[in-house]
Amino acid sequence: MANYEFSPMPRDERCCRLSRRSRVCLCLGLLVLVACAVVLAAALTWSRAQTPEPLAWNGAGTTRNLLELVLGRCYSYTQLVRLDLRSKDCPKILDAFKNAFISKNPCNITKEDYEPLLDLVNQTVPCNKSLFWSKSKDLAHQYTRVQGEMFTLEDTLLGYLADDLTWCGDPGSAELNHQSCPHWNECLSNPGSVFWKVISQKFAESACGVVQVMLNGSLSEPFRKSSTFGSVEVFNLDPRKVHTLQAWVMHDIGGISSDSCSSASINELKSIVTERNMTFTCQNNYRPVRFIQCVKNPEHPSCTSEI
Amino acid sequence: MAPRGCAPAQLLLLLTLLWPGEGTSPQLQSVFLGRCAEYITLLSPQDKNCTAIWEAFKVVLDKDPCSVLPSDYDLFINLSRHSIPRDKSLFWENNHLLVMSFSENTRRFMPLCDVLYGRVGDFLSWCRQENAPELDYQSCPISEDCEHNAVDSYWKRASMQYSRDSSGVIYVMLNGSEPNGAYPVRGFFADFEIPYLQKDKVTQIEIWVMHEIGGPNVESCGEGSVKILEERLEAMGFQYRCINDHLPVKLLMCVDHSTHPDCALTL
Repeated sequence: MANYEFSPMPRDERCCRLSRRSRVCLCLGLLVLVACAVVLAAALTWSRAQTPEPLAWNGAGTTRNLLELVLGRCYSYTQLVRLDLRSKDCPKILDAFKNAFISKNPCNITKEDYEPLLDLVNQTVPCNKSLFWSKSKDLAHQYTRVQGEMFTLEDTLLGYLADDLTWCGDPGSAELNHQSCPHWNECLSNPGSVFWKVISQKFAESACGVVQVMLNGSLSEPFRKSSTFGSVEVFNLDPRKVHTLQAWVMHDIGGISSDSCSSASINELKSIVTERNMTFTCQNNYRPVRFIQCVKNPEHPSCTSEI
Repeated sequence: MAPRGCAPAQLLLLLTLLWPGEGTSPQLQSVFLGRCAEYITLLSPQDKNCTAIWEAFKVVLDKDPCSVLPSDYDLFINLSRHSIPRDKSLFWENNHLLVMSFSENTRRFMPLCDVLYGRVGDFLSWCRQENAPELDYQSCPISEDCEHNAVDSYWKRASMQYSRDSSGVIYVMLNGSEPNGAYPVRGFFADFEIPYLQKDKVTQIEIWVMHEIGGPNVESCGEGSVKILEERLEAMGFQYRCINDHLPVKLLMCVDHSTHPDCALTL
């Protein structure tokens, strides 16, 4: 504490010696400043409230935690499952994936948007190990998981990263749209549909030797030209590399049994394949896959009868 | 002791060839967070905070690699714990591939590796360096080196919790072709699972003794170590039954042996 005598100054002299006019100007200036601050704050709050909402679509929104999911899957796959891909750069792969659709209108996605991603991940499946599927996804996956050597599309890195996920961006921001994404019947050029078409084509193009396809014999048309298999994959098999397409037509346990291999639907597939200079073979209820179905129905006669 | 988990066939094969002395798994944090996100978003949607779960887990990464206790994982377990549906618990010894295939990612059963706190660490390993604060990516101690290593303590803690939270009919899959006996009298199941089963929540214990297709029949129900297990459960007051080659599991084993005579009788 300073050691001096304190004697109060007269009121007028305590503040800076300003003229009345100056004081008025100062007060007015301060008032203007405060008013500006209030207006600015209001404007900011209003504009934040006015940030454009993402475009609204009919389909489910981007999967929550998409980026953590994809990155984790990439590392799991390359560091733990398929170590031959150990040198892949997962953060780069994630970036290339994101950039394919971020800030873009999700009804305007093109094959070219996914080119950088495809260039980063160039994976070839060993010959005779490709398993295509149509309307039999769960069964095909259960089979490759147990059998361990064959690959469905979702057993390749790109398919593995995206399986069961939904994603899209918005032209008005750099954010993922978690609220909604286009359903395929709103527009075909949506991020998911384009992705799966592009990698299905690549998967077919790189197949070699004997390739397998698992079809659902409990449907009226196990083979449909409108399916991804029927419209993209079968036409992108390279006859110079693939010499045989083997179909496994699986019937539901307890469903109507029929010889699907001689049905009109399978004959259509057969003619497409043979016209493209490849051999076609077909088996009803391929036995190893039948065992998988029987796990759920162990007591059913078709699972217990002696051969 | 090999890390406990339930990984697919190709993973196990590659690991034994390429990772002789496992150090900390590469990209541990990203794999952990990705698996957590996958579990709570897709497999079994629930409201959990994966970042907080990771933060709780990683405290062990600062500890001396031979001084990690099961209780060091208490907060991690508290944050990641969730209920296990009744009649869905599946315990096992010496058949992780089969268990993984059979459980179908929580759809058929929920073994420990299909529970959040088992999934995030499944087939990973981790430890700090002995004399430095960084992670050791070269090698980590195993049970022969020291009891209180990070990975063993994790599985002990996770196993205890899993047992405590199990209810209804409890299933146990054992390997009747294992030369050392189907029921290891010292092991995770014996030491960290059975003792923590809750008598008031468990209605019955069903043991499946599976034999490899074309493999030796070392033990079956009522024999050898299986008999020891049965007697132990009885003494503890549990109702139990034992089945040799439980059919649904046998059918799954036949996928890879479809032309073997042992599989011809089934289909």
